[in-house]
Amino acid sequence: MGRLRQKGKAGAAKAYVTRSMAIKKLQCSLADFRRLCILKGIFPREPRSRKRANKGSSAPTSFYYTKDIAYLAHEPVLKKLREHKAFAKRLSRALGRGEWSSAKSLEDNKPVYKLDHIIKERYPTFIDAVRDIDDALCMIFLFASLPSTSRVSASLIENCSRLAAEWQLYVMHTHSLRQAFLSIKGVYYQAEVMDQTVTWLVPYQFTQNIPTDVDVRVMLTFLELYQTLLGFVFFKLYTDAGLVYPPPLDVKKEEAAAGVGAFSLQEASRSQPTAAPKKSSVEVDGKKVSGKDVRQTIKTLGASNATEADVEMPVVDSTEQEVDEEFVTMPSTSNPEEGSTLTTLHSLASLPEKQAPKLFAPYTFWLSRETSRPIFEFLVRSFGGRIGWPVSSGGGSPIDEDDESITHVIIDRPVVERSGETEEQRERRRRRKYVQPQWVVDSINAGKILLEEPYLQGKTLPPHLSPFGERAGAYDPTAGLAEDVRMEDESEEEEEEVADDEAEDEEQPQKVAIRVAAVAAEDPATLRAAELAAEKAGVDYGLFEKEVANSQKKAKKATPAESADPEADMNKMLLSNKQRKLYERMKYGQKKREAENAKLEERRKSLHKAKKRQEKAG
Amino acid sequence: MAVLGIKGGSKKRKQVAAQDPESSDAEALPEGGLEMSSDEEKEDGASDSEGDVIDEFPEIDAGSDTSEDGVSGLDEEEEEEGEEETDAESDDDLHIFPKSKTVISDITGQPKKVYPEIEPDYDSDSSTEDAPNRVGDIPLHWYDELPHVGYDINGKKVLKPARGDELDKFLQTVDDTAAWTSAFDKNVQMDKPLTAEELDIIRRLQANENPDAAYDPYEPTVEWFTGKGKEEIMPLSAAPEPKRRWVPSKWEKQKVMKIVRAIRQGRILPSKPKTATTQLQFYAIWNEEPSAHAPPLPAPKPQLPTNAESYNPPEEYLPTEEERKEWEATDKEDRERNFLPQKYSSLRLVPAYNQFIQERFSRQLDLYLAPRIQRAKLNVDPNSLIPKLPSPSSLRPFPQYRSLRFPHTKGRVRCLSVSPDGAWVVSADEEGVISLWEVIVGREVKRWTLDGKVGAIEWCPRADASFFVAATDEKLHFIIPPNLPPTVLTTTQNLLAPATLPPAPATPSPVKWSNPRSATSTDGPILTLELPQSSGLAKDIAWHKKGDYFATVSSGGPQGGVWIHQISRRHSQAPFKKIKGSVQLVLFHPSKPNLFVATQRYVRMYNLAEQKLLKTLMPGIRWISSMDVHPSGDHLIVGGYDRKLCWFDLELSDKPYKIMRYHSRAIRSLHFHPTYPLFASSSDDGSIQIFHARVYNDLMTDPLIVPLKILRGHEIREGLGVLQVKWVPRQPWLVSAGADSNVAIV
Repeated sequence: MGRLRQKGKAGAAKAYVTRSMAIKKLQCSLADFRRLCILKGIFPREPRSRKRANKGSSAPTSFYYTKDIAYLAHEPVLKKLREHKAFAKRLSRALGRGEWSSAKSLEDNKPVYKLDHIIKERYPTFIDAVRDIDDALCMIFLFASLPSTSRVSASLIENCSRLAAEWQLYVMHTHSLRQAFLSIKGVYYQAEVMDQTVTWLVPYQFTQNIPTDVDVRVMLTFLELYQTLLGFVFFKLYTDAGLVYPPPLDVKKEEAAAGVGAFSLQEASRSQPTAAPKKSSVEVDGKKVSGKDVRQTIKTLGASNATEADVEMPVVDSTEQEVDEEFVTMPSTSNPEEGSTLTTLHSLASLPEKQAPKLFAPYTFWLSRETSRPIFEFLVRSFGGRIGWPVSSGGGSPIDEDDESITHVIIDRPVVERSGETEEQRERRRRRKYVQPQWVVDSINAGKILLEEPYLQGKTLPPHLSPFGERAGAYDPTAGLAEDVRMEDESEEEEEEVADDEAEDEEQPQKVAIRVAAVAAEDPATLRAAELAAEKAGVDYGLFEKEVANSQKKAKKATPAESADPEADMNKMLLSNKQRKLYERMKYGQKKREAENAKLEERRKSLHKAKKRQEKAG
Repeated sequence: MAVLGIKGGSKKRKQVAAQDPESSDAEALPEGGLEMSSDEEKEDGASDSEGDVIDEFPEIDAGSDTSEDGVSGLDEEEEEEGEEETDAESDDDLHIFPKSKTVISDITGQPKKVYPEIEPDYDSDSSTEDAPNRVGDIPLHWYDELPHVGYDINGKKVLKPARGDELDKFLQTVDDTAAWTSAFDKNVQMDKPLTAEELDIIRRLQANENPDAAYDPYEPTVEWFTGKGKEEIMPLSAAPEPKRRWVPSKWEKQKVMKIVRAIRQGRILPSKPKTATTQLQFYAIWNEEPSAHAPPLPAPKPQLPTNAESYNPPEEYLPTEEERKEWEATDKEDRERNFLPQKYSSLRLVPAYNQFIQERFSRQLDLYLAPRIQRAKLNVDPNSLIPKLPSPSSLRPFPQYRSLRFPHTKGRVRCLSVSPDGAWVVSADEEGVISLWEVIVGREVKRWTLDGKVGAIEWCPRADASFFVAATDEKLHFIIPPNLPPTVLTTTQNLLAPATLPPAPATPSPVKWSNPRSATSTDGPILTLELPQSSGLAKDIAWHKKGDYFATVSSGGPQGGVWIHQISRRHSQAPFKKIKGSVQLVLFHPSKPNLFVATQRYVRMYNLAEQKLLKTLMPGIRWISSMDVHPSGDHLIVGGYDRKLCWFDLELSDKPYKIMRYHSRAIRSLHFHPTYPLFASSSDDGSIQIFHARVYNDLMTDPLIVPLKILRGHEIREGLGVLQVKWVPRQPWLVSAGADSNVAIV
């Protein structure tokens, strides 16, 4: 006889602990536990059997892996949190007793934890870290746009906006932005960094306040982690790109609301000895000279031109000119018909994967004052374009409004008649293209310069579609529209024709023959008879064929579902219970999606029809 | 001393009322420390040899200086005693003393205070006292019974004043305005107005203050032993001061120097770098080799935005008014999308998204609070789950449409049977009408009417004889159909009504076999078999394939109502002494001497020859309604009222090989085709399902079951649909009896 097995000594009961048990084990408060979980990335697990994991109780609790909690018990941050608790007690006692000097020295020596080891632990390789910075970037960009309050300190927000600017600078410098999407929530950007797609969402520039139903402490804990993570990631990205991290900040420009322009990128080779001697020594210590380094140096050499272009915007390089020539042909190749459907996902898919990183290199943009500078400055500069803006949008514009090199003006207001305009101004207006902001984003997503025509100032914009695509099999607003429309138009025309025919009595037999053809399309024998009848009536054979094809198509559409169904239904009897349930679920989902697609399709058709009718009426 | 002290204390309190506290202190002191004074003087002189003579007395003198005049302590004491007396005499006028005069005493030659003589006239205090009762501080209830209250100064009785009744008292209080500030004085037995001091005491008590007006809770402390000149002047020991008290410590110096040296060398930073100013320091954290640990799984990324989220989506994405309302009405958690698509004509019109922070927050909650499960997403076409079966069209022949309908006049057609040659059908309804008709044309040939409802009807499977058995109440009727060939007819008649009866069994059986009078005519049963009383309607008849034995199941009766009858011997026996559960059906195995008995839940298989239980099949059906065995004898199908159909492979296990549930109501009847690989099931939902059921001789191959056809056509009457189905032997035709009193051939 083997050893007696006691209940709760092995298996799920041992592998999982409830949250309250974990807190008891760690001897910390719930808030500290939450903080630890956030920082260490520990999340509850779902045991296969909740009852077995909870020693027979089925009360709703959250479970953690016992091993996770055991790791937490040795966490240096937990030690620091305990020290902080003691510190808080001491400080409050000192304050209560009015011992100001000891309170001050306590405050000076307050325990502070570092998250470096957690970053290293959670992201063992750099790629892991880059893969996971989506949420971090979203948070940083959100907090960069928040006003400072008593709960959210100004220094925190400053740091966030600094990190946001550093990220944007890096993306602009390396031209790694791939997609952008103007949504109702904000602007989605997608960049490709270290072969990882990084997507982040930036809210539109409005003052937001933290609502009351949001726990700021949780957000701040996350932010703490994200700041450290992004600091390390940016350090690595910058040093890999041969740049100095952190990029020096020009205070004067910052005060003039230059935004991203307040930072200047410095090449590491130039500034290492002066700017960051300590860090450079660290790097040299840590780095072994490898093939990667060599490649990196080559990359830096190659990128140096672009870097200069970025740093000193007004200078137009010869390289840019070359690129210019390369791109000049692009608008002319795209034929005007395609222009209307250029924004489509299909055109996106048909494009070669590699996108032109310097799409806007030949162009110079001017931002009208009602457009958002941070968005379009980032977009245009990421794709190699030059951009200027009026003083009302912030300082640091590299070009003036009357600069001759401006090719496009991004403008977002209705057309207004201008009366008092000088000849020169009119000439300038003629030379420049006044496009709405969507043109920039759609061009980026399409990977080529789109025709400006549908996006000109005052025009009704074509719909702006998501460059990220829908899930497979979802309704595609661009697909088949043309075909459908054509077919429908034809049918409509025919209907009209038919109406006309009815008016004219002489063509009656022909019509009847066609009708017969439509009816008889299914059966070959009757079809033959109908054909003869039609011939007798003098119907054009082409017309007859078309009618037959149409009716056959209609019949096909109607029948297959019906004919296939009963057999499949019968075979469904033999499914096992489990399989049947799975099948039902899948079918349910499929049906729902199909219904949604059909609804959208239907709505599009009706909208199209309504538009047509309106056009006709108008 | 003690008395003095107390007196001094009380005096002090009294003086506080008039004078400032300082003077009171000064005066109180000499009384308490009268005897001590000289001693202290001496000590002072002894200890303070250095010369800073600071004793207490000068201060005390100064204190006494502040008092009105420099009278000696003794005089003061006298005066106090006098005062105490006056106090005792008259509380009323505490401070109204006659002015004293200071005169030089003739005797001593010293100045002394002389008070004016008290004249006992109307002015004087004592004379104005009316009825002064001089009994003293004694319990006054001693005088309760007496007419007087005490004695005055002259020793005369002081009589109790006349006291009115309560009404007088009340009137008095009404008249007298000062009545509410007066109290009853027991000493004189009348109301006396309270004095201002007494009122003050009452007020203080009410206000929770100390009743003594002179009491000062915030008196300044008296520093007796601290301050200049009040140090301890008498050391406890005369030992000389130790050296360590004033020589600097060598060890301390060494320790301090150690620290000083460390500071000089920079080993100790006197002021540590402030934690507040420490910025995050970044370095190449990923330069070292990554640890061998697998990285934790990355958190799932949120879904990327779709077209509907665009600021300028295609118009078909915009919700209609109903959709908008529905979206608003649903709870936040139940919404499919957390936003409503909106369209703006230009980017500058797009407002701030008001749920931005909430969405970020909920994402973070997901990150740290939500359990994550890795799920393998099944990306298959659901149709691929459906088993691939041969098409029904390749499995012909099977019945596809109704070819004939044979109506019964009324009543549900409970049962039917097809003759072994497949030419005739007998069907019986609940009215007791049995119809014999041809399969091919549906023409009724003959009709019998039995009394009572027919529970079961079954044709004998013998080829050389032709008859059928119909069961009503507790009787089994053997009926010979008309138009038989003469040879068959004679065999049948000989079989059922032999000229010489076989010898009766040794033990008389409760079942009676009897030939009615009109045995030769075809109008009635040729043989009747009476089951024992109260056994109820026989609901099932099962023939053995040789046609000599048949079994019946009655709804009630002992031994589960199962009887096995042998025609050749005209003998009936009950095979089971007792049986667990109520027997629903019995069935003979087509090739072996086995009997299947279906109780409500289980199917038991008995070997009749060896008389033992072979196996118990557990279909998992709540109530078995029907059962049939495959002609090969290796497979059994069992149907139940709970819509389940179980296919048993008898070679394999007690559990069903396949369970199917496709009827929407209870299964009523099942039948395997004797020759074709078909079986049919009928149900209360009014439908008949035809299956192709191919059984392979190879044990390794599973039987192939293919659903072929669903036949509808019978109406549902009172919740009952198709009550029985039977195949026509040698033809792929099916005869079905419905509750709508129709029999159909398909």
